[in-house]
Amino acid sequence: MNDILLVARNHLLMALRERITLFWFMIFPVFLLVILAVIFGHIGQEGEISFGISLLNLDRGSSNAFSTIVEETFAELAQPQEQGKEPLFALMSSGGGEDPDAYIEAETLAVKRGRRTAFIIIPEGFTRQVMEQIATGGAQETATSGGASALQILYSEGNTSSAMAVSIIEQVLAGIDQEILARSGRFDAARSIPLMTTWVGSDAAEGSYVDFLLPGIVLMGFFMNGLFGIPGSILFSRDQGVLRRYWVTPHTVPRFFAGLTLGHLALCVVQFAILYSVGRFALGASVSFATAPAILFMLLAIVTFMAVGFLISSLSKTANAGMAVANILNMPMMFLSGLFFPIAGLPGFLRAIVYINPLSYLADGLRANIGVESAQFSPLLTVLIPIAWIAVATVIASWRLKWDVST
Amino acid sequence: MRAFRSLLISETRIFARDVVALFFTFLFPLIFILIFGFILGDVDRPIARLGLFEVSLEEDAALRDVLSSSGLDLVSRYASADELASGILDREVDFGLTWDGASLAFSYDPSRVQENYAFQQIARGITDALNLRAQGLSSVIRVEKEHVGTEASTRWFNKMVPGIIAFSILSSGLFAISGHLTGMKQRRTLDRLLVTPMPPVALLAAIAAVRLVIVYISTLITLLLSSVVFDLSYSIDWVAYTLLVACATIGMMGLGTVIALVVRRPSSAGNVANVIAMVMMFLSGIYFPIEFMPRFLRAVSLALPLRHLADGMRYATGVSDMSQLRFWLIVGAFLAAGIILFPVLARYAVRPQRT
Repeated sequence: MNDILLVARNHLLMALRERITLFWFMIFPVFLLVILAVIFGHIGQEGEISFGISLLNLDRGSSNAFSTIVEETFAELAQPQEQGKEPLFALMSSGGGEDPDAYIEAETLAVKRGRRTAFIIIPEGFTRQVMEQIATGGAQETATSGGASALQILYSEGNTSSAMAVSIIEQVLAGIDQEILARSGRFDAARSIPLMTTWVGSDAAEGSYVDFLLPGIVLMGFFMNGLFGIPGSILFSRDQGVLRRYWVTPHTVPRFFAGLTLGHLALCVVQFAILYSVGRFALGASVSFATAPAILFMLLAIVTFMAVGFLISSLSKTANAGMAVANILNMPMMFLSGLFFPIAGLPGFLRAIVYINPLSYLADGLRANIGVESAQFSPLLTVLIPIAWIAVATVIASWRLKWDVST
Repeated sequence: MRAFRSLLISETRIFARDVVALFFTFLFPLIFILIFGFILGDVDRPIARLGLFEVSLEEDAALRDVLSSSGLDLVSRYASADELASGILDREVDFGLTWDGASLAFSYDPSRVQENYAFQQIARGITDALNLRAQGLSSVIRVEKEHVGTEASTRWFNKMVPGIIAFSILSSGLFAISGHLTGMKQRRTLDRLLVTPMPPVALLAAIAAVRLVIVYISTLITLLLSSVVFDLSYSIDWVAYTLLVACATIGMMGLGTVIALVVRRPSSAGNVANVIAMVMMFLSGIYFPIEFMPRFLRAVSLALPLRHLADGMRYATGVSDMSQLRFWLIVGAFLAAGIILFPVLARYAVRPQRT
């Protein structure tokens, strides 16, 4: 028993001492978790994202002009709502002294070049046009309210943040719109149609992005650990003759295998503990893995990826070849599994990879079991496909894997 | 010159035999283009698919009009709330609307955390429009939207492709020197070459020349595939494009020299290059817009060469705009990095292995 524990300890310590292993197995998953949570966890949330916009009011009349109301509303939104938070908009506004044509030219160029996400132009005659609209009940366009007095939003369609800024600007304008109609007595806010939001699925509540992401990153960590860690451990030890030294002792292959498995499992536990702690305490994840199905799924994932690691080791003649195969498999398997984004729109040939990829089933099964996603595959498949991988990989590895350098 | 020619031939052979290098140079960007292209690049894909369940059997004309002008390309009707819920979970539709004549209930799949924000924006738009419509009103503020960006750039995927090409240049350049030279050192082939009359700079020039041609061809294949498969259009300034690819490859090889100087083992050199490439990839706006990042990460991204290379590549392929001055500064900076670092490499990196 002691020799098994020694091999396990050796595997764990080797992994923790190697800076590069430490990076890929520990730091990189944490980096990815933090970076994706920071970026996508707050999309569109006020205080977390700021859009650089510009506004030109060509309808400067009285202070009660509707154009002034629009201008002031955006100016207000450009003030931080809370200390330390970013305002929704970083507003560039024409002071009134510049030549409007030159300002329009400069700001249009700024939108084109991505320095501004949108440029709002309030045209001359805007207030008059709004008044006319109110007078007619906002029901029909008057003959004089042609396109000339429409508020213009210049944006860049290919720029995602520009498109997002425009959708927020439209919401702001819709709010002003209703306010104007309500103040003019046309719109009865009390008769507004209520908007309700429901969440379909097991939890019936909106999941946070961190909760969705965390199981994916945990699986990614296990996946990389199995894909690179196992072939790295076996093949480098074999190439450097380390394994040969084991075989001149009473130590046997099954006992070495048991030690390696135990060490690998310990490494995965450390990895999970770090990721879970960062997710829970630094990023506010609330998802719980402390259920029997979740723990069993994670164990199934660890064993599946270990088997894949053994499969790679058995098919590679040298350590470098093993690492190359692992590198080639890594990205396609990871991206074609639904770990990071939905894979519904893929064509047949890429979908085929999704369907044979064990990671797809494990991700789906784990997320469904901890209640952050509705299952896409049947529960039986989420277990059977990884088990099939384990079986096939074990058969091939036991047949082909060489535990000693060829002499 | 003869030494250079011989080295050129041998470097080409070495590259052609290196399956991993071939994979990462040619196939890797193509795989990314295919994966992301089918997810993000489908022109005909609707903005969002709405599932509608109307409690009343009669179709509401006001709602129909509002939905038809909401920008949604596809509205599927469901006969019951349960069917609508199944449709959402099975991803037949992106989100659902139940209309009982008095309230609008929008339903979402909670697992679509990345997309729900956009669906909720559409839902608010529908509600605002229906609110006015229900009281016989229409909007008093008329809005006209005008796309002023570069003609070719109408989707994020258009911008992503030059970004992927930029990443491929970065990784090819970094690995070319760091992995290759350290590998030669480890196998002692460098020691053998150095006892010949071959000047060290000839070796570097041969590696650089082979990589330049290969990277250039690889970028063209990537552009071609994205154009053919996903019908993306580019307005390429070939002079700017060619100079940027050449200077960036040399510049990135210059950065690879630093790794080759610091790290001795080829596997470690490859790993270090991999780490640098990965970190840069996530912070340089290749896969998601830089504007989505918090302010401090946006500041960090300004210091990363990959961000500027991606911006330059987008400009050279006509998918986004920048000032000519900035573009040529980027090209010049990469060229300078290559020119300055290469002689350093020749002197310190290409020398016999200490025993």
